Formats: sequence, C-alpha cells, structure tokens
Amino acid sequence: MFSGTKTAYAYIVARTRVMKSRLLKPEDYKKMLNMSFDEIVRFLEETEYKKEIDAVAYKYTGPRLLDYALYANLAKTYRKIYQVSFGEVKDLIGEYFARWDLWNIINIIRGKMANVNPEIIEETLVPAGQFSEAELKSMLTKEMGEIVKSLEHTPYYNVLSKIGSIPMYKIEDELYKAYYSKLLKISAERIETKLFLNFIKMEIDIKNVKTLLRLKESGESTEEIIDCIIPGGYELTEDEIRKLASLSYEELLKSLEDYWFSKALEKFESLSEAEVNFDRLWIETIAKRASNYPLSILPVLQYIVLKKVEVDDLRILGWGKWFNFSNEEIEKQMVII
Amino acid sequence: MPEVQPTRMELIKLRRRIRMAQRGHALLKMKRDGLIMEFRQLLEETKEAVNKMIQKYAEAQKKLAIAAAVDGTVAMRSIALASCQKPPEFVIMKKNIMGVVVPVIKRKPFKKKISERGYGILSTSVRIDEAVEAYEDVVDAVLEVAEMETTLRKLLEEIERTKRRVNALEYRVIPRMKEMAKFIAFKLEEMDRENIIRLKKLKGKKAKA
Repeated sequence: MFSGTKTAYAYIVARTRVMKSRLLKPEDYKKMLNMSFDEIVRFLEETEYKKEIDAVAYKYTGPRLLDYALYANLAKTYRKIYQVSFGEVKDLIGEYFARWDLWNIINIIRGKMANVNPEIIEETLVPAGQFSEAELKSMLTKEMGEIVKSLEHTPYYNVLSKIGSIPMYKIEDELYKAYYSKLLKISAERIETKLFLNFIKMEIDIKNVKTLLRLKESGESTEEIIDCIIPGGYELTEDEIRKLASLSYEELLKSLEDYWFSKALEKFESLSEAEVNFDRLWIETIAKRASNYPLSILPVLQYIVLKKVEVDDLRILGWGKWFNFSNEEIEKQMVII
Repeated sequence: MPEVQPTRMELIKLRRRIRMAQRGHALLKMKRDGLIMEFRQLLEETKEAVNKMIQKYAEAQKKLAIAAAVDGTVAMRSIALASCQKPPEFVIMKKNIMGVVVPVIKRKPFKKKISERGYGILSTSVRIDEAVEAYEDVVDAVLEVAEMETTLRKLLEEIERTKRRVNALEYRVIPRMKEMAKFIAFKLEEMDRENIIRLKKLKGKKAKA
C-alpha cells in the first residue's frame, strides 16, 4: 500500500500529529489543579484514559489506580505508534522503545534476585517495548539463568551474563549504556537517521548532566562518576565529562554555562528543580527541532516525549492532590504548566 | 517485738547496725536523687530526639510522596526491589551510670553514598535520592531514640528499686531497729534498777543481822 521512506515518515507524522492534538492542553492542567483527586479521575474518564481507568478500577484505588491506568495507556499508545509505522521509521521507533524492554528486564531481574512474588513483579512491568506482555509474563516463570539465556540474541546478553559477579546497580547502568551504544551504531549517512542520532545524543547529554550533578552533589569520586556516564553525547564528550567531574560543585555549575542546555541551570534551588528545568528545556528543544524538520522522525519523537511527560504530570497532579500538596508544590514538580 | 536478748552486747551490735543502715539510707537517697537528675536531663534530650525523629519522618514521608508522584508507584516498587533491605549495622556496648548498666549503640551513620544504595543511577531520578536520604536520616534517628529510650527505661527501673530500698530503710528497717534498741536499753535499765534494789535489800538484811 505504501512505499518509500518519505511516505513512511509522512504517514507516521500525520498519525502522531492527530494523536498530539488529543494530548491535554496547559489549560486542562490549570483546571485540574483546582480539582480534588476524585474530580481529576472523573475528568480523565472523559478523555483518552477512560478505558484504562475502568480496566484497573476493580483492582486499585487512589493514586495507584491512576498510576497503573496511566502506565497502561502509555504502553498502549506507544505500541500503537510502533504498529502503525512502517519501513525505516518503524525500525527507529522500535529501537527507541527498547528502553521499555530494559525497564522490564531490570524489574524482572531485581524481583527474582529479591525472591519477590511474580504477581508483584508483574505489576511493575510496562509492555511498551519490543517484548509483548505474554513474553514478559513467560519470563516471570523462568529461573534467572533461563531469563538471561532467553535474552541471548539481544545486545544486553553480555552485560546480563555478568549477574552475580558485579553488583546489580552496575548491571543496570551497563544495560542502559548498552542500549544507547546500540542506538548510536545506527548509520548517520542520511539526514533522516542523522536527525534521530542527534536527538539521541542530546538526550544522552541531558542524562549525563543530570547524573553529573547528582553524583557530584553526593560527593562521589571522579571515577565513580565516569562509570555512570553514557558515552556519545552531543556536546558533552567523555573527555569533557572527565574534566568536569574533577571540578568542585560550584566550578562545575560555572563550567556548564557554555553548553546548549545551560538555560536549565540559570535558576534553581534544588537538584530536583534543575531536573524539571532540564525536562522543560528538552521539550522546548525538541519542539523547535521538530518544527524545523516537519517530515522527519523528530515530530514522532516529540509526541513520544510529550506523551510520557503528560503521563508523568498527571501522576504528579494525582499524587500531589492525594497527599494534599499545595498547588505551588505540585506546579514546581510538573513539566507542562 | 521479736525474740531478742536484752544484753549490752546486743545493744552495741544493734546500734552499730542502725548507724550502718542510716549511712546506707543516706547513700541510697543520694543515689536516688542523682539518678532522678540524670533521668530528667536524659528525658529532655530524649524528648528533643523524639521530636526530631517525628519531624524527620514527616519530611521523609513528604519526600517519598514526591518521589512516588514524579517516578510513580511502579518505579518506586522497582527501586524497593533493588535496594533490598540491608539492615543498619550497629554494635551494642554497655555504659555504667551510677551502677546502672545501660546500652550504648555504636553505629556507623546509615547514610550512604548514591553508589552504595543498590539502585542504578541512570534509571532513577534525584527525587528518589532525596526520599532515600530522608529515610536514611529516619533510621539514624530511630536508633538514637532507641538507645535513649532503653537508657531511660533502665534508669526508671533503678530509680524505682532505689526508692523502694530508701523507703524500706526509712520507714521500716531503721525504726524497727531503733525500737529494738530502745527496748533493750529499757530492759537493761530495768535490770540495773532491779540489781540496785536487790543490793539495797541485801544491805538492809545484813544491817539487821
């Protein structure tokens, strides 16, 4: 029916544009800020989230109901994007969504190591990646060795085979590095893939600068910081990070003023505030780049990021209202307002 | 009055025992007062520590709620699986406060570096760090309060015991011994008087003869 790379991009961009128009607007958030928790859930039942809220309402109540419904909707939306895309763009989206496979694999392994009931582990799974819900459930019944063996064909096998010989948190970080390293191996010969790669590199920059600040504030050594850094950033190369990691916290903040993300560090009181600033800047940057390249992967990625931010914001709103946080406190944590 | 030999020797012994009991009573009273002072001082410190612990717990709960709000129950559960329950390490030593053996909890601060907490850095946010850090503070505060509360309980038990001893000496043992001493003294005086009369009578008979 369809053929050619351009058609594939045009099609998925049109589909995501429609989906984007269904995202909640800033005025909806303003409205919800003045509602109680129950009113927010009722409001969401009139939106795209109705089906998922109804589906989990028999099992959960309160903010957990919202939490699971939001994750279920996110997984459904991401699967839909993957399913309706085709050609090169489908491959790229698939590679991008593999992060959810990582999320699920890590949760299953953590649960198995801690001898947690499979039902509890199942509640932490978000089947938005390449592995289907059935595949993930079948992993839950397996022993640790079998799980690792079943992932032999994935780029994570080498890291997973080290389980038991190095601490689990190192395995987790190594898995994320393996994920990004696989993404960075995509050829950047054509503009379509180059845009995707640059997006990934900028995302790595954001992740790295957040890690750098977190670990520096906690007083970790330069080597420990370097261990947690994802190689292949857009502006933050490994050498630069090494230099930055050896500086004091104040010097580090000053040195970060020359990078593309420096705007996020202009005004912040705590690191959590800085993280929100980074997320806001990230959204603005993607939006700008997506409007410059309207028929590329960028508008699709923009929607993917915006959908995740919407889910996160709704969760913050729900939990915030449930715990009687003031509107100011809730707004401080939200990215879209 | 129990069976007691009204002899001078017995009276001397009894008086010695009374003096000793009175000295013991004064010492126990001093110990009781000292313990009460120690208890009061510790009580204030404990109250402060408990208030701090409550404050820290409330703060930790808030931070946990923020972390749950930002990262979600799913992520929180997942991280809880990761940082799997390594109990705090501490050694219980002993300290002597006026003869009362109280515990001293020698512990390393429970606060850990991010890299020691058991969860990955790349898959978590700073809100999780803040919540974990706040709960690590709570664990430290709980251990401190536990040490103080146990010391308070032990001191209180000792104060009760000392108070009972002081009261027993003051209202029962010493008065009874004094009563006995009085009785013996009276008996001895009576015996002296009897002897004088007996001697007088003998002297009178001798004069008549």
